[in-house]
Amino acid sequence: MVDYVSFQGYEEEEEDTLRGKYLTFFIDNDSYGIELRYVTEIIGIQPVTEVPELPDYIRGIINLRGRIIPIMDVRLRFRKPFREYDDRTCVIIVEMSGITMGLVVDSVAEVLSIPDEDIVEPPEIQKNHNRYVQGIARVGDDVKLILDCNKILTDDEVEQLSQL
Amino acid sequence: MPRVLIVDDAAFMRMAIKNMLLNHGYEIVGEAENGVAAVKKYLECKPDIVTLDITMPEMNGLEALKAIMKIDPNAKVVMVSAMGQENMVKEAILSGAKSFIIKPFKEDHVIKTLQKIL
Amino acid sequence: MADDFLNDSMLEVYIFETSQNIEQLENAVLESEKTGRYSEAAINEIFRIMHTIKGSSAMMMLGNLAELAHKMEDLFYYIREAQPKQVDYAALSDLVLSGIDFIQAELKKIQDKKPADGDANELLAAIAVFLEQLKAANGDLQQEQDTSSVQAAAGDEYALQPTPDDEHKSRPAEGLSAYEAVLYYEEGCEMENIRAYGVIHNLQGLVEDLYYRPADILENDETAAYISKHGFTVGVLTDKPADEMRRFFADVLFLAKLEFRELDAATFAERKGGAGTVRTQVKAAAAGSGENGGKVRAQETAVASSSGQGMISVNVAKLDKLMDLVGEMVIAEDMVVQNPDLNGLELENFRQAARQLRKITSEIQDLVMSVRMVPLANTFLKMQRIVRDMSKKLQKEVRLQLIGEDTEVDKNIIEHISDPLMHLIRNAVDHGLETAEERLAAGKDKTGTVTLEARNVGNHVLIMVRDDGRGLNKEKIISRAEKHGLLTKPAAEMTEKEIFQLIFLPGFSTSEQITEYSGRGVGMDVVVKNLEKVGGSVSVDSVSGQGTAFTLKLPLTMAIIEGMNLTVGRARYTIPISAIKESVRLENHKLVRDTDGNEMLLVRGECYPIIRLHEFFKVPTEVTNLADGIFILVDYEEKPFCLFVDDLLGQQEVVVKALPRYIQNKRVRGIGGCTLLGDGSISLILDVSGFVA
Repeated sequence: MVDYVSFQGYEEEEEDTLRGKYLTFFIDNDSYGIELRYVTEIIGIQPVTEVPELPDYIRGIINLRGRIIPIMDVRLRFRKPFREYDDRTCVIIVEMSGITMGLVVDSVAEVLSIPDEDIVEPPEIQKNHNRYVQGIARVGDDVKLILDCNKILTDDEVEQLSQL
Repeated sequence: MPRVLIVDDAAFMRMAIKNMLLNHGYEIVGEAENGVAAVKKYLECKPDIVTLDITMPEMNGLEALKAIMKIDPNAKVVMVSAMGQENMVKEAILSGAKSFIIKPFKEDHVIKTLQKIL
Repeated sequence: MADDFLNDSMLEVYIFETSQNIEQLENAVLESEKTGRYSEAAINEIFRIMHTIKGSSAMMMLGNLAELAHKMEDLFYYIREAQPKQVDYAALSDLVLSGIDFIQAELKKIQDKKPADGDANELLAAIAVFLEQLKAANGDLQQEQDTSSVQAAAGDEYALQPTPDDEHKSRPAEGLSAYEAVLYYEEGCEMENIRAYGVIHNLQGLVEDLYYRPADILENDETAAYISKHGFTVGVLTDKPADEMRRFFADVLFLAKLEFRELDAATFAERKGGAGTVRTQVKAAAAGSGENGGKVRAQETAVASSSGQGMISVNVAKLDKLMDLVGEMVIAEDMVVQNPDLNGLELENFRQAARQLRKITSEIQDLVMSVRMVPLANTFLKMQRIVRDMSKKLQKEVRLQLIGEDTEVDKNIIEHISDPLMHLIRNAVDHGLETAEERLAAGKDKTGTVTLEARNVGNHVLIMVRDDGRGLNKEKIISRAEKHGLLTKPAAEMTEKEIFQLIFLPGFSTSEQITEYSGRGVGMDVVVKNLEKVGGSVSVDSVSGQGTAFTLKLPLTMAIIEGMNLTVGRARYTIPISAIKESVRLENHKLVRDTDGNEMLLVRGECYPIIRLHEFFKVPTEVTNLADGIFILVDYEEKPFCLFVDDLLGQQEVVVKALPRYIQNKRVRGIGGCTLLGDGSISLILDVSGFVA
């Protein structure tokens, strides 16, 4: 079942108009945000083909209309326990520096505009999922953790630490 | 918009002239790589002006010029020459070429020359 | 404003065209060198190419290149016109090849976005000297004059050109007026004498009579400089009003200044008649040694250039994109035709239409692939230059034999084999071939032969580099391997082939000294790596004293392969048919275990270590009993093994899709790509080299 909401219209807009906009999603009860300019698509979960010898958070690859996209389980990336996928599970397709990745999250919330003033630096503690958080945003009464997309896609230190 | 046929065996040169002319609102109706093709293209496209390189394989500019003048005595041909080809340019003028430009040429020279003969 | 038309795509075209021209030029020179003479066609071709490079380099403001090409052009112009009998062709070839090298180096700088600041002065001087010597040797020296700067000083005189009806026009007829115009042309507009002639030409029909100074504008090109300095004087007798004539002259192209005055009839006649004439000083132009004034052959004879064959050059990026799209088209077609939605339906018309569609997409596929195929000829020809240079430098006589250069290979692949081939050829000439004395002593021909051969074998292209030199020295190889700790088993147990393969190991030739097979600091392992990048491999064979043969094996194309689909648990894999030796079930063969407990399959006397794919890839499956699955026998680089899988699904032509970048970076062993099956699922393509690490 491939059921998707396409944000492809954003491809045509100037990158500048995407600044300050974030796509928010949920992992358990925590709300996270990721910069909209890196998001190309949002789809529902679909069958994943496993690829051997990859970290556990890389579930494998999928066929997205002929394109092969790797899939990363964000829960596992954040060292949280795995949760079975259900019909609310979404895959956020992000593209950054030539790397495309599908991020599996519990559910997707909405697109918000968050001005820079409302985002503060995260505390110094850098363990587990905190290392991927680049800022903490206040939205009304809520707090959303703004993620560093680049770190999520490229950071390998977590494996090294776990091998010690 | 004046319609131009560009003839030169070097793609580079054709491109150079084309870019210059496009900058000034000319329409390029055809390109040819040698004299034989030039004559054929002339018949096909009936351009207002032809820029004709002198040094080309198979049939050179001079012979192509003569052939074109035979087809259309009112043809407006500008010879494209290099330094040192005075004799051929002379013969070209005598054979009916309206003017000439010399490589390496500057954009304003080319435009002025073409405007003059239109 | 003058350079508005110059942009990136102009640069691309310039680089592309000039590179092509250089290649053609080099081939022309090498051919001529081989045959020992420069034919008229060759000289014309070289002249024409230099002429073209001069022109485009000047347009691109590359002064040093334009100048070099200009001087080369002059040199060959002289050779073409004067047809000298005494020419040192060897030196000439060297000269042109040096010029080619210079141009190539500058082009590379431009491509790398660095300034093209090469200094060609030495080369220019060498050309000048060569030309001098050439002229002297052929008795033409005294004709040489410096025509580049014309001394149009006082004292130059120019003859007056009498117009035809000169005699009886001493007084003006009724209604006619006389005017005189002096035209000064813009600086740098060039060929002022011809422009002046154009003016005169255009005056015909406007005037009854005219005169002009200088008069020999057509015969004498020196007049251009004179006009540039002193202006071009025209006197006319006409019934047209003054302002019309003034306007006519003012409209002349590239006019910088105009002096216009009315004359009375008497002055007109006087000026025309010749009072105060100036005479031409005969300069070198009159001497017919083939410089400016000499006979100019009106045309270049047609040389075998490919401009008549209806070829066009295509941007490689477009071709790549086309390839990708064709691949996707094949996949999409499969997804339609083999769609699970259609299972069990009776669809005769649909199937027929699908077959027709398959036929067409197949043809498109073949055609697009063939467009990307390029003959090896060009790459082979490049080697000629190398052999020539090396044989000269090493004082060895070497003959390069080319066979099968029409064999075609995917463009992508060509780019990756050029370097390995160069390396192998260099080795062959440098280390493989003995010196002339050694060869004669061994009863061989003085001239060594290096053979470069290409041919199609199945899904691959084989390229062989053979030499008839001294062959590989097994003892030396073994001792080197030992020294570098590369022996994995005692030398005595190694087959000849295994010994030879040692030279491909990384670390084999890292020494600073140049010994038999160090390859001058670049090891054979670099060759291997380059080939692996395109899915190729290399092997070597040799007979001591007789020679060595390297064989490169390349896939025809990287994009579409014949594959066998198989299953392990719920996962699907595809293995290239070319990798499969055979597939068997356990029942007909014996299972053995070695001393370490490793499982092996004995098939007709040969031992195949078993790799259980479900274990290798950690894939859950119910087929773990060896009696229930299938063994695929593989023979990779003389290392036989077999893969144990659940089942074979069947053979299929598959479009190889690269794994996403992220995954490629993780370097998964045994997986070389993936493909989409008809039902949309993904099958991982096996890379057999990954199983024998």
